[in-house]
Amino acid sequence: MSGVQLNGIIKAYGAVQVVHGIDLEVNEKEFVVLVGPSGCGKSTTLRMIAGLEEISGGELTIDERVMNRVSPKDRDVAMVFQNYALYPHLNVADNMAFGLRIRKESKADIDAAVKEVAGILGLEDYLERRPADLSGGQRQRVAMGRAIVRRPKVFLFDEPLSNLDAKLRTQMRAEIKRLHKRLGVTSIYVTHDQVEAMTLADRIVVMNDGRIEQVGTPMELFLNPANSFVAGFLGAPPMNQVKAVITGGDTSPVASFKGQKLKLPALAGLQNAEGREVIVGIRPEYADVVTQPEDGSVSCELDLVETLGSEALLHMSLGGDPFVIRTDTLGRMADLDAVNGFTVKPDLIKVFDADTGVALSGQTRVA
Amino acid sequence: MSAPRDITGDAPSKVARITEHLRNEWQLYVMLLPTIIWFIVFLYKPMYGLQIAFKDYSIFRGVANSPWVGLEHFHTLFGSDQFLRAIKNTIIISFLSLCFGFPMPIILALMFNEITHQLFKKTAQTIVYLPHFISTVIIAGIVMTAFSPSAGIVNTFIQWLGFEPIYFLIKPEWFRPIFIGSGIWQEAGFSSIVFLAAIAGVSPSLYESAVVDGASRWQMMWKITLPSILPTIIIMLIIRIGNLLEVGFELIILLYQPSTYETGDVINTLIYRQGLQGAQYDLAAAAGLFNAVVAFVLVMTANTISKRYSRTSLW
Repeated sequence: MSGVQLNGIIKAYGAVQVVHGIDLEVNEKEFVVLVGPSGCGKSTTLRMIAGLEEISGGELTIDERVMNRVSPKDRDVAMVFQNYALYPHLNVADNMAFGLRIRKESKADIDAAVKEVAGILGLEDYLERRPADLSGGQRQRVAMGRAIVRRPKVFLFDEPLSNLDAKLRTQMRAEIKRLHKRLGVTSIYVTHDQVEAMTLADRIVVMNDGRIEQVGTPMELFLNPANSFVAGFLGAPPMNQVKAVITGGDTSPVASFKGQKLKLPALAGLQNAEGREVIVGIRPEYADVVTQPEDGSVSCELDLVETLGSEALLHMSLGGDPFVIRTDTLGRMADLDAVNGFTVKPDLIKVFDADTGVALSGQTRVA
Repeated sequence: MSAPRDITGDAPSKVARITEHLRNEWQLYVMLLPTIIWFIVFLYKPMYGLQIAFKDYSIFRGVANSPWVGLEHFHTLFGSDQFLRAIKNTIIISFLSLCFGFPMPIILALMFNEITHQLFKKTAQTIVYLPHFISTVIIAGIVMTAFSPSAGIVNTFIQWLGFEPIYFLIKPEWFRPIFIGSGIWQEAGFSSIVFLAAIAGVSPSLYESAVVDGASRWQMMWKITLPSILPTIIIMLIIRIGNLLEVGFELIILLYQPSTYETGDVINTLIYRQGLQGAQYDLAAAAGLFNAVVAFVLVMTANTISKRYSRTSLW
């Protein structure tokens, strides 16, 4: 089993603790993405797995072997760095062969491995070139080739696409996904880009402030965020979150905010909860725009329309707070400037406790 | 109906572009001005005086009015045993300085880079940088004292081992090792700063990647640090080759004596003795011009070779 287990992993620099006891199990052949804002500890966690940072507490096992005190070279992991970390004085072939040469593998084996991986990554024509003579995408491929050629048990990716332009990033994302399918190696991937996380991951680990907020498949996290942080982090644009007070009756709770009312799902936590403060979460794509006030609609003012092609983002002002709606444009473009409110089905609304940010129970949805 | 506009448009002339550029970037050129003036005053204007290498120069007639003598001074120089000896000494001392003196700052920089204890590292660096800031006269004094046959530390040690004291500074065979060694002692530390700066520029992720690949510290030094600073090493080597004939003659003048001329007299000391002490300015100018031409050829050759084989060059 080439899985990776983190049991209560802690990282501290002197008295400052930056990773606070992480528990995570990455299964064999699984592609797990660590995602979170800058400084949340995701790269530090990855570097602890690689052996580039000392583990201050807890236990790391790879392939059922405790790795806390094992040197990086003996962990059988390969890492792809954000800035590629290609040796500028070596050509593509030598860069890819570097790790194998260090391990004193035979020349014939090295040549065969480099040739095979270059074929997989479409680098055969560039083997004699130096990194300076390659494009960003080609360098990224070489960096991956250098990792693949060693046939490690675990791949570690530290924001490998963040230096590429948007188009190339999309292209490389697909290549990484295809490669993982083909090679089937356990992979841990760090990014702050939630689109990368959603598209690449078998499971996503959302981190914040050195702690894991939630672990799950992309759709689980999208549909059932455990708290308002996860809800606000995943999704593009992120979920709208409005502070409200429960004013409804016993069985049909209503959220009151900014002088308006919105019918909520009949959750257990909202029964007889008059006066309870909550956060109402509405995904931009779940709100239906209206141009005339309707029964149950919420009024807001249109600030700006961002046209994306088949869709448009309507930037609204809800009593002074921003509120974004994603809507189709086909046959509706002319009406978008007249939008002055929205409706949303109660069962598409997420409700979080205002104090803890935790999602109220009973809201689980299935994709 | 108005006349159609010329949408092709004429590209601005070169002069207009330069004027526009100067207008936008004048601050940079103002900052550059002192350096340009320095070059003109101290390097280009003196070139006018080079013509005395081809004249029978007299300080009373001046540069312009002295009669031309063609290559007479060069004939004199190349017919002179002293000049040929000076060329030979210059080449030998320069070559040995290059062989032993050039790698030393690189080795020091690599060693400093491997020191992890910060206090020890800073102390060691300060100690090896210090000799650079000592006046050449003091350095010569230290060398003479250290190698003194009566009270010098070297001879004291030799005597302690049971041998006879050696008169280092009057023996021709010892002049070159003492001169080259003291030069390395004085400058190696300070010269290592350039290489330390180059090492600091190597991306830490290269080392991290190598660590994950299983490289040892020794392998990282050979396979990453050294190749990464190679462009800097080559640039410094080209500059050093350009100055190959510019042996630090102040120290030689302070250390040598007639008994060590045989191995210590170099072109610059000869120029000094003939030009300033012997008032043969024209002959000294011819020797200096020869020196400069050889240096120019050397730097051009080194630059071309480097450009061809390592993609690194001064221009």
